[in-house]
Amino acid sequence: MTYLGQVYAILWKDLLLELRTRERVAAMGAFAVLAGILFNFSIDQTAVRPQDIAAGLIWMTLVFGGLLGVGRTFHLEAQDGAFQGVLTSPTPKDAVFLGKTAANFVLLYVVALLVVAVFALFFGLRLGTHPGMVALALALGSLGFVALGTLFSAVSSNTHMGETLLPILVFPLLVPMVIYGVSATARLLADRPIAEVAGNLRMLGAFAVLAVAVGAVLFRYVVEE
Amino acid sequence: MPSTAPRRSDPSSVEALRTPGPDRPGDAVPALSARGLSKEFGVVLAVDGIDLELQAGDFLTIFGPNGAGKTSLLSLLAGRLKPTRGHVWVRGQPLRPGETVWRSRIGILSHQSFLYADLTVEENLRFFGRLFGLRDLDERVPRRLEQVGLLDRADFRVRQLSHGLRQRAALSRALLHDPELVLLDEPYTGLDPHAASVLRGVLSSLKDGRRTVVMVTHNLTQGLELASRVAIQVRGRFGWEGCRDDVDLDTFERFYHGVVENGAA
Repeated sequence: MTYLGQVYAILWKDLLLELRTRERVAAMGAFAVLAGILFNFSIDQTAVRPQDIAAGLIWMTLVFGGLLGVGRTFHLEAQDGAFQGVLTSPTPKDAVFLGKTAANFVLLYVVALLVVAVFALFFGLRLGTHPGMVALALALGSLGFVALGTLFSAVSSNTHMGETLLPILVFPLLVPMVIYGVSATARLLADRPIAEVAGNLRMLGAFAVLAVAVGAVLFRYVVEE
Repeated sequence: MPSTAPRRSDPSSVEALRTPGPDRPGDAVPALSARGLSKEFGVVLAVDGIDLELQAGDFLTIFGPNGAGKTSLLSLLAGRLKPTRGHVWVRGQPLRPGETVWRSRIGILSHQSFLYADLTVEENLRFFGRLFGLRDLDERVPRRLEQVGLLDRADFRVRQLSHGLRQRAALSRALLHDPELVLLDEPYTGLDPHAASVLRGVLSSLKDGRRTVVMVTHNLTQGLELASRVAIQVRGRFGWEGCRDDVDLDTFERFYHGVVENGAA
């Protein structure tokens, strides 16, 4: 109970701070909307069917926009040594990681749904006959992304390069997520049978579980002096 | 008396401080002890072979110039840093950095507040209380806030507090879990005389005989007020150490400068 209570405390605190400051969701949300507008003008919809390229655009918008928010995971923590207060508490480091990852997941998933809504608005995108499965694919991809993003955000926050280092560290590791996420979403948007998507969803799930597990194990080595 | 002896204190007190050991026969288990404690940062030797032994009720004040390694020493005693050499014991048990079990017994007050500026004072205390696994937060949080005179500002965001009030909030956070070892790093920094007086009152309440307090400060007067033991750290090691009763307040400043100059030479 204490362990889960500690995870929940971190999650609650991060979401409350975001509710007060709105700095991360606002940045990610604004990016999603602006990206949707720019894609709308940059793609000749008489030559290319939006339905055919929407999956890639959605995931790229999510990755680039998400990085804006996830990259600032430890920004507020650095103010007045607040994170040192967390580290000097008896909270296991993996509980800290899980709490922060859970908070980032909630924030990014809100943005993921916003991205889909933006593309539906600008491209007249239909979610196919399985919108729930699209939501599941985005959820699994978002979880894997925030797990890696949280871990490497902690790494980059300890360096002089700061947030500029984060994409260099994270993007190569996101390749499997992008491949299976785009593939699953594209097939779902094309109304292909669920059986064609199941394998991609399983790989996305495995990627998410692996990212969370690796992050939970490695996080202590990143934050301990 | 230091004014006539700019060296280590009398043999008995030196022995008490320099021959620690949780397994020393015939003694009560020390609340906090360290032996040969050293910390290197690359080529910089921040803490150099420090020995100490403190019993419950002891209040050790460590003076020293900038860069003497005082904060590094506190971080070692708190288990926040891994020593390059040496060991720390809390109640006779070795303190291992990374282990979380000790942290519920240690309270740390730094010159940083360790608080979230966009949470209220009460939200901060409740958050840290949950991290420490405390269950009676409904009673404990108001009690701590009242102790530091912040009950009427419980709903203020930390960002809205002056430095002095923020330091009081930080103290209530450090003491929330009723730690038996309290580590204070320059707690008076930036406080006006009134805020310093309030803080002094709260710190004096820590001298209840069951807590061990280690305070690092530049301020000689404030540092000596509450101390039962005193040390001067220079270049990572204790240049002088002794009991507060050995110290003559009128001549301590001159003595302190002598120790610092001798240690720096």
